[in-house]
Amino acid sequence: MSSEKKGLKNNMNALSKEKFLIRDDEIFMRMNLAERIQHFILIITFLILIVTGLPLLFYNIKFLKSLFSIEQSFYTRGILHRAAAVAMILNLIWHTLYTVFTSRGRNNFKEMIPKFKDLKDAFKIFWHNTGLTRFLYRRGILKKFFASHPYWLFEKPPKYGRYNFIEKFEYWAVGWGSVVMIISGFFMWNVELSLSIFPLWAHNIFIILHGYEAILAFLAVIIWHMYNVHLNPESFPMSKIWVNGKITGKELRILHPLEYKKILENRMKADQSNQRE
Amino acid sequence: MKKFLILSAFFMLACVPLFSEADEDCMICHEDPDLKTEEGTLLFIESVKFLSSVHGESGISCVGCHSDLQGFEDFPHKEKLETVSCGECHDKAAEEFKASIHSEATIKKDSLIVSCKDCHGKHDIRNKDDFDSRVFPLNLPQTCELCHLGKVKRERGVEFIKQYEKSIHFEGLEKAGLTTSSNCSNCHGAHDIKAVHHPLSRVSRENIIGTCGTCHVGIERDYLEGVHGKDYAKGSKDVPVCTDCHSEHDITSPQNLASSVYKTKIAEVCSRCHDDEALSRQYGFLTSRLKTFSDSFHGTASKFGETRVANCASCHGFHAIRPSSDPKSSTHPGNLPETCGNCHPGAGKNFAEGKIHVISEKISNKWAYLLKIFYIILIIVIVSIFLIFIAADIFHRVFRRRKRE
Repeated sequence: MSSEKKGLKNNMNALSKEKFLIRDDEIFMRMNLAERIQHFILIITFLILIVTGLPLLFYNIKFLKSLFSIEQSFYTRGILHRAAAVAMILNLIWHTLYTVFTSRGRNNFKEMIPKFKDLKDAFKIFWHNTGLTRFLYRRGILKKFFASHPYWLFEKPPKYGRYNFIEKFEYWAVGWGSVVMIISGFFMWNVELSLSIFPLWAHNIFIILHGYEAILAFLAVIIWHMYNVHLNPESFPMSKIWVNGKITGKELRILHPLEYKKILENRMKADQSNQRE
Repeated sequence: MKKFLILSAFFMLACVPLFSEADEDCMICHEDPDLKTEEGTLLFIESVKFLSSVHGESGISCVGCHSDLQGFEDFPHKEKLETVSCGECHDKAAEEFKASIHSEATIKKDSLIVSCKDCHGKHDIRNKDDFDSRVFPLNLPQTCELCHLGKVKRERGVEFIKQYEKSIHFEGLEKAGLTTSSNCSNCHGAHDIKAVHHPLSRVSRENIIGTCGTCHVGIERDYLEGVHGKDYAKGSKDVPVCTDCHSEHDITSPQNLASSVYKTKIAEVCSRCHDDEALSRQYGFLTSRLKTFSDSFHGTASKFGETRVANCASCHGFHAIRPSSDPKSSTHPGNLPETCGNCHPGAGKNFAEGKIHVISEKISNKWAYLLKIFYIILIIVIVSIFLIFIAADIFHRVFRRRKRE
């Protein structure tokens, strides 16, 4: 009993020390200004591309047809689509240069590299959320197995780093999608060039790629990104990070515990060396 | 000088309308504007109108037409005269008229009796080239509409006749004043007018090509060289004739948005036959032309009202359409670079390497087919995973909240 209390007290000490080093209301920059501008340009260009592109795949829907009912609007649509594409490509180039040439960019990129842990995290969070195994354990089903293998109870959610598996998936989906869309879109833009290199059937493949990848990207953003970042009950109606870039120490501790831990360790080391001096 | 005075006096005398002596007898009574029968029918004859009519000018007397009063002296004559028989002089027109639908109506003793005077007028008949003639090209539509907008039973409704006023032919008459622009009689005939489906009718399937070809000579030649025209010449009932694509009374220029063959509408016109299962089996052509065209960028853009993209006619031609197996066809593989090159400068032979608007990609473009399947599966799988994860997340939040409470 007393040892338990002692442990609790130690914990409390550690916690207060932690709170001293990273206050709950301390502000961290999750997205700096450059990153926010890149994200904003991506939103705008993506929206324009979707609005001016996706209706072409659903030409039988009257509502979509009425979007282009004004004379010359279909022609303007084409110009807008390509202009937005160019803007998006320039944004992508900026992002690439930013990633290569700034230390923050390089660090972000390192954090973004997918690891096997991400796959395990996805698995863990799913079973943690469903709570199926804990339900079975409480009902006494497979009790022995769960008692000796508590991992399968998924009591705690996985601890994420600076970027969790959801964010990594989205980032690399944008990367992959951009490559597909830029290549196929370039050849659709320059039909004459495309058909001087490729036969017609290969050109048709570009068209199919461009269309289906667009549907996939649209659904991914509407469903996955919107729910996980903005529409889930915790941050509804939206997370403000994309506007002001700020995340608090408390949010960091809950949402990105490994990054929090990393910062904490760094500060502890600095703290200790200060104390030694 | 004296000579000139006599001459001019003679000339002036000739210009003043004058009745012959015999006709003056008639005019003693008929000049009275109030002369009426007991039923109230006006019997007044306006002398100026008669004398300036084609008959008056050429000096035909009253009894020349009202022949039952020839030599009659004991005036006043009986109230009801016999019907004037124009055919005694106009024998050719009368003969043609006898075989016409208007005459049939007469024979059938329908409520409607059509005779010469209904179109040409009575005492005031003028030469057909006279501006004031009822059958002068610019006036004829109004003359026909007198009955055909009102009294006559119409298979296709009054609107169908009225549509003519929206046509390019009417515009030619009204706006451009072209007497050569088609009025009613140019297509339907005049004295010999027949019912539309009568084999001798000028607008029947059998004769329409020749009728339109009277003016549109070059188009008739092109049409008869094309695949449709060749079968038409063989007597096929399935091939389209002019009116099947261009419509009838309301025919407009293909540049007009209202035209059935306007750039963005033509695909629907062609697919009326080219999407028809029975016709495709009989003639061995492909169906689903509209759908496969609409799926292409040309078709999609066209559906959105873009006119700069290719439509059926841009590649296949129009009046002289030939099958792609014909080396002269614009869609023959050898000619495709040139055809596509009209819009895509520098189009090479790759434009022909692969098929366009195919029904089944499974056969014609295996890679495209596999790619589509791959993407459909990918989208379904990824979206399902998204939804399952989101459902689990929502479940957890709800469950946790309930536990706390």
